[in-house]
Amino acid sequence: MDNIILEIGLALALIAFAVALAHKLGLSNIPFLIIIGMAVGPHAPQFGVFDFRFIETGSLITFMGRIGVLFLLFYLGLEANVTRLIEAGRSILVGGTIYVGINFTVGFTFGYLTGFPLREALIIAGLTTVSSSAIVAKILFDYRRMANPETQIVLGITMFEDVFLAVYLSLISGIVLSGATSVGGVLSSGGIALGFIVGLMVVGRWATPLLNRLLRISSNEVFVVVVFACLFLLAGLGETIHVAESIGALLLGLILGETEHSERMERLVVPFRDFFGAIFFFSFGLSIDPFTLGGAVWLAVGAALLSLVGVIIAGFIVGRRAKLSTVGSFNTGFTLLARGEFSIIIVNLALAGGLMAVLQPFAALYVLILASASPLLAKESERIYALFAKLFRRRGRTKMADEDLEAADGS
Amino acid sequence: MSTISEVFLPGVGRKFQVETMTGDRLVIVIHDDGTRELYHFTRRNMERPASVLRLSDGEARQIAGIVGGLTYAPRNLPMAEVILGDLVLEWFTIEEEAACIGRTIRDLEVRTRTGASIVSILEADQTKRLNPEADTVLNEGATLILAGDRRTINAVKRLLVEGRAG
Repeated sequence: MDNIILEIGLALALIAFAVALAHKLGLSNIPFLIIIGMAVGPHAPQFGVFDFRFIETGSLITFMGRIGVLFLLFYLGLEANVTRLIEAGRSILVGGTIYVGINFTVGFTFGYLTGFPLREALIIAGLTTVSSSAIVAKILFDYRRMANPETQIVLGITMFEDVFLAVYLSLISGIVLSGATSVGGVLSSGGIALGFIVGLMVVGRWATPLLNRLLRISSNEVFVVVVFACLFLLAGLGETIHVAESIGALLLGLILGETEHSERMERLVVPFRDFFGAIFFFSFGLSIDPFTLGGAVWLAVGAALLSLVGVIIAGFIVGRRAKLSTVGSFNTGFTLLARGEFSIIIVNLALAGGLMAVLQPFAALYVLILASASPLLAKESERIYALFAKLFRRRGRTKMADEDLEAADGS
Repeated sequence: MSTISEVFLPGVGRKFQVETMTGDRLVIVIHDDGTRELYHFTRRNMERPASVLRLSDGEARQIAGIVGGLTYAPRNLPMAEVILGDLVLEWFTIEEEAACIGRTIRDLEVRTRTGASIVSILEADQTKRLNPEADTVLNEGATLILAGDRRTINAVKRLLVEGRAG
């Protein structure tokens, strides 16, 4: 254990390289971190003092990755604000329900039909449903779509997804950690987890004025240490009563997100989330043996294709409701197709609960495919639309296609 | 006045949409991190912005001051309209796509068709034409000083923009 700092330094150098490369190429860094993590590991060579096997520091990197999950979920909790969601209005609630409903059903059916047991199917449903807010935001910003009418809808749905994810994660962690396999067992352990969360949220609501007062700390240094102490304590306490540690972090985020200090916390947490989050994705890749990928390729490709169909349908239904143009509907679907951090977090929870190991390479490949495909599709949505329009015209002129073509000609 | 609408963009900030009097659309996105984005859509293409400008918080504030006239108030604005009894003098700038661009005062028949007259022209390059001749060509960006009464001034502005007085 002599070269421990050097080895961590080496890992961080790889992480820095992956993040810088992704930034240079204008892509999300999550796939790059996972790939570079997979590339090294026990099977990798050793060059003098540079040991790419990460055998001695493996557990340390995993631990820092765990901290990354805490920060990622704490931040999700701060962001997922039920009050704000309700204020956003009915159209967002309905649109979000449609989007999540379609994708969750598609994912669950896919998992079930490919022979996974109930809990694994629920995990697949979750990880194929939730978009990556990081990639979505990046697409909208990079392709200069902030002013587009569909952007409001897309952002509204990601906000809906945040809240959905908070509820889903809490339920699924209860289900996974309890070890229930029957439908009845799943329902009851889900119920217990839900009871715990609702209880905590009610207490949190009631305690908001008190928390507001307690957290009025002018020094940033004191503030950040106090908040992080709470974060680790609550996450650890959750673990002792069989709620995943990450759920503890999520719930603390949800409670503190209601206080007047939520924006200040978000600002302070972001660098920690980015740093430890990057280590988490790297360590996730590190824990994958690249030789197990082969067994999951078709599964991941199949799920990715189904998700593509799912988001296009959902995009169209939501788009029609919001009176978006056809290109706008395509944009909605393609942008929301991005999968990333949350899918990895979900599968990580499943692995911690001892679910089938094939979920890991499956999730990695699935995220790799969609994190790269979604920005490309979103960028080319106009051309894809033109292609669709042509196809529809050739096939006996359906009414919908005609209307769209006329609209396109008119513009 | 132009119409302004305001929308909340979850997780990003706020979006303001301004429909200007020239028929263009300006969308201002204020990100919570301070970044501002200005999207300019022209009348001809409302789907794709003609330009997108990104500003930092500091730049945006500075520019807001300049646009708002805090550092330099438009010199002829307070007198943009001078009323002497029924006589109205008005400063009028020829915007792009105005019907009068490239035509002369004579072939627009400004005086006969509207009753008002163009007393002076300040070209975009600051050249002054006091008492312009009838064969003076009207250029984009030029500021005209119009003289007439309320009704005839409105008629002449319509003539300049749309090409008809009625």
